[in-house]
Amino acid sequence: MQFPGVLANDDVSLDIRKGEVFALVGENGAGKSTLMNILYGMNAPTTGKVIVKGQEMTRFSPSEAIARGVGMVHQHFMLTPSFTVAQNITLGREPRRGVFSDLKKANAIVEDLVREYGLKVNPADRVDEISVGLQQRVEILKTLHRGADVLILDEPTAVLTPQETDDLFHVIRRIVREKRMTIIIITHKLYEVMAISDRVAVMRAGRLVGVEHTRDVNERALASMMVGREVLLGPMAHPPVVNAEDAPAVTVENVQVLDDRGLPAVRGISFQLRRGEILGIAGIEGNGQSQLVEAVTALRPLRGGDVRIGATSIRGLTPGQVRALGVAHVPEDRLKTGVSAPADVTDNLIVGREKQKQFSLMGVHMKRRAIRRYAQELFSRFDIRGAGVDVPVGSLSGGNMQKVVVAREFAFDTPVLVISQPTRGVDIGAMEAIHQFIMDKRNSGCAILLVSADLDELYRLSDRLLTIYEGRVTGEFIPSAIEKAELSYYMTGGGKEAEA
Amino acid sequence: MNELISIVNLGLFQNTLRTATPVVLCALGCLMTDHVGMMNIGCDGMMLIGAFAAVMGSWVSGSWMVGILFGLMAGLLLGLLYGVFVIKFKSDEFIIGVALNIFAGGLTTFLLRELTGQSGTFHAEGGLSTLPRLQSDWLEQIPVIGQLLNNNTLLVYVAWALVAVCWVVIYRTPFGFWLRAAGEHPQSLRSAGKSPERMKYIASLLCGVLACLSGAHLSLGYLSTFSENMSNSRGFIAVACVIFGRSNPPKVFLAALLFGFIDALGMRLQSLGISSALTATFPYLGTVLMMVLLVWRNDRKKKRLARQTAKA
Amino acid sequence: MKRGHRPDYLLALGVSVGLALLLGAGIMALTGHPPLEGYQLMLQGAFGTPRAIGNTLAKAATLCLTGLATAIAAQAGIFNVGGEGQLYLGAMASAVVGAKLAGLSPWLGVPLALLAAMAAGGVYAWVPAMLKVKLRVNEVITTILLNSAAIYFCTYLTNGPLKTMERGISSGTDAIDPAFMFERLIRRSSLTESIFLTAAIAFLVWYVMRKTTAGFQMKLTGQNGRFAHYSGIRSDRLAVGSMVVSGAICGLVGMFEVFGLHGRFITTVSNEFYYDGMLVAMIVRYNPLGIILMSLFFGAMKIGGSAMELNAGIPSSLVVIIQSIIIFFMAAEQGIVSALRARHAQRKAAQTLRKEAQE
Repeated sequence: MQFPGVLANDDVSLDIRKGEVFALVGENGAGKSTLMNILYGMNAPTTGKVIVKGQEMTRFSPSEAIARGVGMVHQHFMLTPSFTVAQNITLGREPRRGVFSDLKKANAIVEDLVREYGLKVNPADRVDEISVGLQQRVEILKTLHRGADVLILDEPTAVLTPQETDDLFHVIRRIVREKRMTIIIITHKLYEVMAISDRVAVMRAGRLVGVEHTRDVNERALASMMVGREVLLGPMAHPPVVNAEDAPAVTVENVQVLDDRGLPAVRGISFQLRRGEILGIAGIEGNGQSQLVEAVTALRPLRGGDVRIGATSIRGLTPGQVRALGVAHVPEDRLKTGVSAPADVTDNLIVGREKQKQFSLMGVHMKRRAIRRYAQELFSRFDIRGAGVDVPVGSLSGGNMQKVVVAREFAFDTPVLVISQPTRGVDIGAMEAIHQFIMDKRNSGCAILLVSADLDELYRLSDRLLTIYEGRVTGEFIPSAIEKAELSYYMTGGGKEAEA
Repeated sequence: MNELISIVNLGLFQNTLRTATPVVLCALGCLMTDHVGMMNIGCDGMMLIGAFAAVMGSWVSGSWMVGILFGLMAGLLLGLLYGVFVIKFKSDEFIIGVALNIFAGGLTTFLLRELTGQSGTFHAEGGLSTLPRLQSDWLEQIPVIGQLLNNNTLLVYVAWALVAVCWVVIYRTPFGFWLRAAGEHPQSLRSAGKSPERMKYIASLLCGVLACLSGAHLSLGYLSTFSENMSNSRGFIAVACVIFGRSNPPKVFLAALLFGFIDALGMRLQSLGISSALTATFPYLGTVLMMVLLVWRNDRKKKRLARQTAKA
Repeated sequence: MKRGHRPDYLLALGVSVGLALLLGAGIMALTGHPPLEGYQLMLQGAFGTPRAIGNTLAKAATLCLTGLATAIAAQAGIFNVGGEGQLYLGAMASAVVGAKLAGLSPWLGVPLALLAAMAAGGVYAWVPAMLKVKLRVNEVITTILLNSAAIYFCTYLTNGPLKTMERGISSGTDAIDPAFMFERLIRRSSLTESIFLTAAIAFLVWYVMRKTTAGFQMKLTGQNGRFAHYSGIRSDRLAVGSMVVSGAICGLVGMFEVFGLHGRFITTVSNEFYYDGMLVAMIVRYNPLGIILMSLFFGAMKIGGSAMELNAGIPSSLVVIIQSIIIFFMAAEQGIVSALRARHAQRKAAQTLRKEAQE
């Protein structure tokens, strides 16, 4: 199977052989998903050809791809939440009895699939009531049902626990071996590439950098191909700043928080945060970190326990009141929560300060010139790249948008900073800059709570690490004293939980 | 007290059915578009145009069947218009809905003047061919229920049948699944090889046809003529019923019946001396109350569910 | 409005208006009326005599206020479609106050009536606003339904408990003290002193929306409610507050009608005034300056349209049709433009790639 294709600007040509597991790696925005979307017919290439099993693809649509045996499991599942597993798997080719749909037959089809491929699911379950790992199985079964013998998996392990990831790899190995299927796996997790693939292609900024047999490379080599230079950011200096005699800046005491469905997400977490230190929270997404951060910043009510900023409890306070106590917050979802996309950079930078004396007359009339000057100053101080302070924030790149958020929040000069996923979707240059900003804050005496899914980032920045699993703290560590592998163990329930 | 009881008689329920039917038909159309993710608040305007088209068709040809036909054609055109603007041009569905309502008011008033030289309420010389009533002696004999079900205009029965048909189509046929998927998760439908846009267009057309049909019932079956702005915000009540009934045809039907009941009750209360204008407020206030109760009940249900799962 | 987008938008507006006028001309021709004559009559009807100018300005003032009422709420993300009902209640409240306080000095009576009108409109808007903010009940539907309720209620009051005993008045409440009434500025036109108040309010609304911290926070609330909440902005309060202000302004419009033209509450105190203003606001995307300018244009069309009807028999509902066509085109403008742009960009990209491939 062979497909030369064209992406945005650049020319990509790849050969993928039947019965192999082929990995496609690259940073966010490198173009891997776009390429695969072309193969699956979701987009058409501007120029170039795609040849599947010896036949060129002339029309680009998912039904074309399905007809040729290409199936795709997307990063964000393409499942209709209120439908059952069987309904989702048979969507588009439902078994019928006359005009009506034959749900019994659909369930039977799913049970056959389960038997044939060994992926266990219950056909009658509603998709929005099963776990993420099971949902992914449904997606895979869906493509198999449609007759795929080429399976594209887009970042399949992004939402899985390590156990579920192991299960997935088992399944992949089995269907490749028993059914001679071809698997293309898109990922940016290099250890997975080493674990499961036969060959690997590296993409960068829309171009193909190289294709190798997996046995001929290692993680380091792949990483440098991905970014064109030594990617492993060096360690940062952690000069001692904490004064042990100071009272803690933030006290979190037996905090309990519910999630959106009313189920407990944080089940009794306690810790203290001192000025001049970075406390990192390490955990797989979905174990309560988001809710913890929201509780500390009053974006979510506390079901139990207390959070004190200095000596003041935040129970019953609004986000504005918590900010007034000296807390700034870089949220995990910058587009949804951290900025207003249609507003310009100036507006986004001044929010929170617009009533202050230097920016408004008596808190009412806005002094536009002073505000603009302030925005421009922040723009240059935080190295935001873009056309200027008058453009809508939505037009900036992810990294620069994040810098706007960081600039605004850091410029409040608060004693406490709560930072969540600071470099998600941010290019390497901006990442380095943001890390330096965070470090500078720490060194000037700020108390920083850092939540991140990026272990490298946590190791680089944190003075202390807390591992979190299912809403509880499972361990406290100094980064230099624990290996990543062992930390993962605590992140998945080992430690206190296992002992209990 | 006796007077109150005297209001609650068969006539009250018969009127309930008659008043509710335009809302039912319109609501069925709106719930179609709701399933594909569009809220059509322009259905009130569509109802008005449908009412006008039906009267014109009947007047010009002397047959109510042609009137219905005119109404259906208007429905297709309006559905297409709505679809093109909202789906193809990606306009805000709220703005298009409001524009449609305003357009309908202007268009019907204008055409009424230009085509018939009249304004206000239309008087057809020699009368207007209106919808037939369906009668069955057999039904007449069954006490209460039979008399209730009997002797209604054609579209009332059509509406009941459509409620059932809609339910079956939406929840028991592949087409219905595609419709719901197009609204809930269009990408999942697209990756299955079907076009969500096509589903949306079909839903728009269906909504247009049903809304205009409801207008036809209003003018040819209920009030037996056309008068300016006769839709009287019924389209919005239909939308409220769709929300209240969670886009589920039988539930929406019940909501519409409730509205019809309040409306009919209001008219009956007039016989007790209560001003007609005052009773006219009841359906509207009632619908607002219905919506509030619905949301409040939803909230409590969610909290109860959460408490249960937490305990488990 | 972002600087880069303004020329695009103005062009689109110009094209929409032009196309709509063309279509209007077409409709006129189809129904046997010469279009040029029709539009000429419209212009004359709007600006031909001092009386006409007065009427046009008065109409523009009403449109401007109702448009701004829509805009100030819309900017905060809450859609007040219930202005008509708020207008009625404001008119009723002011009429009652004006009648009951007869004999008081106008310096007391008129401001009190103003307050009554604002309170009535504001409170009636507060209810759906609270329902939206606290219970997430869709405010578009509740406000529309409450409109009908309010209008019927006022009808009931006018023909029932508050019906005036005056001879010769078949429907209406008691007359207000004649000393309270606003003076006409141009004889026999509907332009009254209330226009000065209108101008003041328009300036105030523009100022609040564009120059104050409250307006800034409202704008952000409308753009991204989560972001506003996270930033410490009291978005709930602002949303409700903007709605109440919107209702109060509508109440004032009702009061102006009673105190400027009718001298009492009558059931025809308004004829879709609010919806017309809402239309204007939607067309200009809730930009306050745009509203002020557009209301003049639409006011002229409305008054001119009535003159057209009187003199040439062309129904004034044609004006309504033209207005709705403008909205259709404006609403589609963004979609059409982005679709065209996308296709243009794709074609250019393909061209460049083909050129590169050849080199």
